[in-house]
Amino acid sequence: MEEGNENDLEEERDLLRDRFRLSLISIAESEAKTCELEISQPIMACISDLTFKFAEQLAKDLQLFAQHADRKTVNMDDVILAAHRNEHVATLLRSFSNDLKEKEPQGGRKRKKASKKKQDDVVIDVMDVS
Amino acid sequence: MSHTFDPDLIHAIFNLVWTRKTLAEDDVKREGTEDLEIKEGVGTSKKNRPTTAKSNALKLSCELLRIFVTEAVQRAAIIAEAEGAGKIEGTHLERILPQLLLDF
Repeated sequence: MEEGNENDLEEERDLLRDRFRLSLISIAESEAKTCELEISQPIMACISDLTFKFAEQLAKDLQLFAQHADRKTVNMDDVILAAHRNEHVATLLRSFSNDLKEKEPQGGRKRKKASKKKQDDVVIDVMDVS
Repeated sequence: MSHTFDPDLIHAIFNLVWTRKTLAEDDVKREGTEDLEIKEGVGTSKKNRPTTAKSNALKLSCELLRIFVTEAVQRAAIIAEAEGAGKIEGTHLERILPQLLLDF
């Protein structure tokens, strides 16, 4: 049963890799078009494999970062942290994350305010106890 | 900007990696425990529920992967243009690969 499970995971991985390759090809080709160049098929497969492995490594990193912060949910800071090696990329991602935050509906802000209030309450409780 | 990855696809890939890791950790636990202790193991694995990701974090991951791909293509294109080739070939990718991997 265990082996069957692992086979399922492998099959799913192959399926995802193919889907990943399809969307990668559209990105890479539009990028190559701006340089007026073509990309040979084996190289496209190479880049696709490379990026897929990068994505898997990214998943592991993000999980570890979230766990290190005692969280079960990966948030935007974790992704920016994953790109800390390259300042340019980190800056790009930071401005992208700011754009996303601005686009977010107001519900998000309300939730943030609510959680802040809760934290304030906790602080007051602690002070009372002491 | 119109071409990017689908956040759902990236989510599926992340989930696959995370469940694979959880399964591997469970295996390690099971090897070291007796029959009686397995019940305890199940209890803790409920506590260790798999990692999840916020939708914004997924969109940001898509952007990071998109930057990775565009960088790879652009750098290879610079080499290809310098050599006067009309097509990006393996040698061009080989030239830029080490620095690309160091930069990400």
